[in-house]
Parts: sequence; structure tokens; C-alpha cells
Amino acid sequence: MSTGAAARIEPGARPRRDTGLPRRLLDAVLSNTGARITSYLVFVLGWQILGGLYERVPGPVEVVQFLADEIGRGGVWDAFQVTLERFFAGVAIAFVAGVVIGLLMGMWPLARALLKDTTMVGLAIPAIIWALLTALWFGFSWKAPVLTVALTATPFVAINVTQGVQGTPRDLIRMSKAFGVSTHRRVRELVLPFIMDYVFTGLRFGIILGWNGVLLSEWFASTEGVGWRTRYWYDANNFDGFVAWIFLFVAFIVVFDRLVLSPIQRRVFRWRTTVAMR
Amino acid sequence: MAVLKVENLTKVFPAAGKDAEPTRAIDRIDLELSGHAFVSLVGPSGCGKSTFLNILSGVEEPTDGSITVTSDEGGPARFGYVFQDPRLLPWRTIMQNILYVHDDRGEETKRRALEYLDMVGLAHTGGMYPAQLSGGMQQRVGIARAFSVDPDLLLMDEPFSHLDAITARSLRDQLQEIWNRTRKTVLFVTHDVMEAVQLSGKIIVMSRDGRIHAEFTIDLPHPRSAADPEVAALQAEILGEFEKIQAAAGNGAAAPAQAG
Repeated sequence: MSTGAAARIEPGARPRRDTGLPRRLLDAVLSNTGARITSYLVFVLGWQILGGLYERVPGPVEVVQFLADEIGRGGVWDAFQVTLERFFAGVAIAFVAGVVIGLLMGMWPLARALLKDTTMVGLAIPAIIWALLTALWFGFSWKAPVLTVALTATPFVAINVTQGVQGTPRDLIRMSKAFGVSTHRRVRELVLPFIMDYVFTGLRFGIILGWNGVLLSEWFASTEGVGWRTRYWYDANNFDGFVAWIFLFVAFIVVFDRLVLSPIQRRVFRWRTTVAMR
Repeated sequence: MAVLKVENLTKVFPAAGKDAEPTRAIDRIDLELSGHAFVSLVGPSGCGKSTFLNILSGVEEPTDGSITVTSDEGGPARFGYVFQDPRLLPWRTIMQNILYVHDDRGEETKRRALEYLDMVGLAHTGGMYPAQLSGGMQQRVGIARAFSVDPDLLLMDEPFSHLDAITARSLRDQLQEIWNRTRKTVLFVTHDVMEAVQLSGKIIVMSRDGRIHAEFTIDLPHPRSAADPEVAALQAEILGEFEKIQAAAGNGAAAPAQAG
């Protein structure tokens, strides 16, 4: 019996796959890593094209050149050090305050009635408003950027923690009560680990918005730091400098998310199935 | 001395809507369990079996009546509970899950936890997470957890109903073995009459109005095979009681499971 043009496959044999160079290249480009690299290349290419077309848009080459000069001049690390100290102080406050407020709202209806609307208002106020208000209240001081970060990020952590507490599986709570597990241990060993997912989600949002907040706050009310340095070049009409510092600012948060937040999240949630973790 | 004494226990759930009636889930139940007994509670769906267990374990409050659970050692009684689903903390290892229900987590508790894990054939899983175990294995961990607290009363709420027939049979056999060794007082809720006949020394049949309809004492030796004529006859007799309950209710109540 004729089998036509189709290749005959013996039972149990795997079909032969084309493993030539073009196929391997296509597989590499279509992989996750390939897609990510492609997006970076497209971005840089697009940026270069825009920079070539418009005088007021510094291209990647000019930005990199400026950064090299700026690093040579010194001051990049000092500016980041100042900003990072303020930023992490604000994040620490947001984490503690957000978890406490979220736990209270999640566990007690009265606390929820008291705090929920205030928290929603906090969510709605953009970072720029906090930056301006804290500048009015504290003037040129470290308090303004720290508080801007804290006030921006706290509502996100709190709302997510509240949802986490309310979403704690009822069957696990009933199991705990049936075995007589104390409230204190239930919160520590059941509720807190369960809500860590929500804490991380809220913290991630809060960190990104808080990072924006510290830039804005230093723009308006600081004489040092990344935000101040960015404004310095903007006021000097030096677009290369302005864009270079924005680039540094954005690059930091992307790298921080990849190298710090993601690994921590993976480690904390290693109890999930390996399929979910990949 | 009775381990469990229930007097005039009643539970009424408030009406669900404006025109609805309150639901009398349990109606004036009197019950006594002596030590080392394996007692099954069977009945059609909605007869209040699970509500009864919830009240016994303190998860729900009764509307009326009293419950006394006596501990051999004096002091507050300890409960073990096995649910329909394993209810393990996913972020804790198997050993940590067993220790979760213990206040004292010293060496003796760990030794006992390992002993019960070994009894259910899972001594090697202590460092694993629940997601790495099958449903049947997780349920075995739940059984080990319940036994590990050395309970005065072990409550089991249809623990094998969510498992396939083969796994359920295997776990039933393991439960029988563990009970033979430990002789804990067990109150076992099931809708599977054959399961109740194979495991229990006493079967209590509840009716849909939340009352005790009938009681059966079983004196047959273990293991009890479904093919044994005496076992089959007892199953048929209990199923006959179900038919009487359904006839009295006068509507299509859910039929109990008949397979063993």
C-alpha cells in the first residue's frame, strides 16, 4: 500500500525534527529569552531613530556618553546613596504600616469601617501631591522624600493585605479552630504566610510608585539625590543629562525588581508546585 | 465512664430569607459514647451529620442542649478531626503540618508525629510539601495529624468521600489497622453504609429531621468483607431504615451510597 509523500513513522519512534541552523535560530528568537532581547533591541533601535529625527530627543549614544562623563565627574553613586537611603526608609515604614493596617482591617469589621475610606483616599492621591505637600510641610529636608514614599506605598500594601486576610481559606481556619490552635498561632502560622503573596503584590506596586515619589520629592524639595540631579540638568536645558538620569532612575528599579524582589518572591513561595514557580 | 455525652442537643439555623422557615438541623439528640468505641453516623444528605460534628468540635454553637467530653487524664478534652479534604497548610512541610496542631513541639511530639506518619506509610515525606503528594497521600497525612494529638475523641467527617474507590479502600484498611493499635474513640460520619458496616462497632442512623432514627450494634469480627453474607445482610437492614426515612419524609431525598 502506498504511503504517498508522508514519512512513515514506526510505532514508538519519534518524528525527526529539523535541527538545522535556520531552525535553531528561529527557536532561539521565539524563546522567552529571545523575545526579551528582541524587545530591548527594538526599543534601542526605535530610540535611536527618534533621536536621529528630533533634536530634542537625545539618542542612546549621547545618553551613554553623558553617563560615562558623569560617572567620571563623580557624584552618581553619592546621589544614589542619598536617594536609596530615603527610599528604603520610606518602604520600611510602608511595609510595617501597611501590614498592620491591613491586618486590622482584614480581621475586625470595626477597624475596616474606620479605616477603609481613608485608605482608599490614600490610594487615590498621586505621588506628586504627596511630594508637594511634604515639601510644603517640611521644606528642604530628608523627611519630605521619606514621607512621600511611605504615604504613596502604604495604601497599596494595606488594601492588598486586607484582601489577603479576608481571602484566607475558611477551611484552614476551621481546621485550626477544630484542633484548638490559638488565635496568636493562627495569625502567625496561617494568616501571615497566606497573605505574603498579597503583601508582595502590594509592596511591588508600592515600591514602583514610591520610587516615582522619591524622584518627585527630590525634584521639588531637595539639594541632593537622584531627583535633584535630574532637575539640575533639566533646568540647565541639558537634555542629554536629563534623559541620562531618567534612564538611570528607571534602570535601577527594573534591575532591583529582577535581582532582589523576584528572587525573594521565588524563595518565599517555593512551597508552590514547581510548574507554577517556573 | 462515657467519653462523650450529648444531652438534648439542638441546632436551629435562622431562616435564609424573608418568607423562609428556620432550619432545624439537629433536634434533641441524646447520645453516649464509651471509650475505645468506633461509632459511625449515617443518614441521608442534609440530616445534620456534619453539623453535629461541627458542634462537637466547637466550630459551631448549639442552640440548646449540652455536650460533655471527658478526658482520661483530666483537663480539657483533646479533639482530633479528619475532614473530607486534607486541609493542610500548603506553605508548610508535611512534618510542620502535623506539628502545627500541637502547642508543645518538643522531641516527644516530633517522635510521635513521625510514628503516625510511619503508620500511614509516609515516614519519608516529612520534608516534602503537600503539593508534592497525591490527594490520597495528603488525606493520609490528615489522618496521621488527627491521631498524633492523642485525642480523647476523634471526629471523622466523610474522610474518604472525595477519593477514588481503590484509594478509599486502601485508606479504610489503614484506618482499621491504626484503630486496632490505638483504640481511640472515633465518631465517623459517612453516607456510605457499607463503609460504616465494615469499620464500626455501632452505627447510628439519623433521619432528615435531625433526629436519631435507629441504632445498630455490630459484633462481627474484623476484617469484614462486603461479600460476607452477614455484612451484606446488615447493610440491607440499614438501607431498609433509609427507605423508611425517605417514605416518612415523603419526597425525593438523596439516596445513600450502597457500594462498599
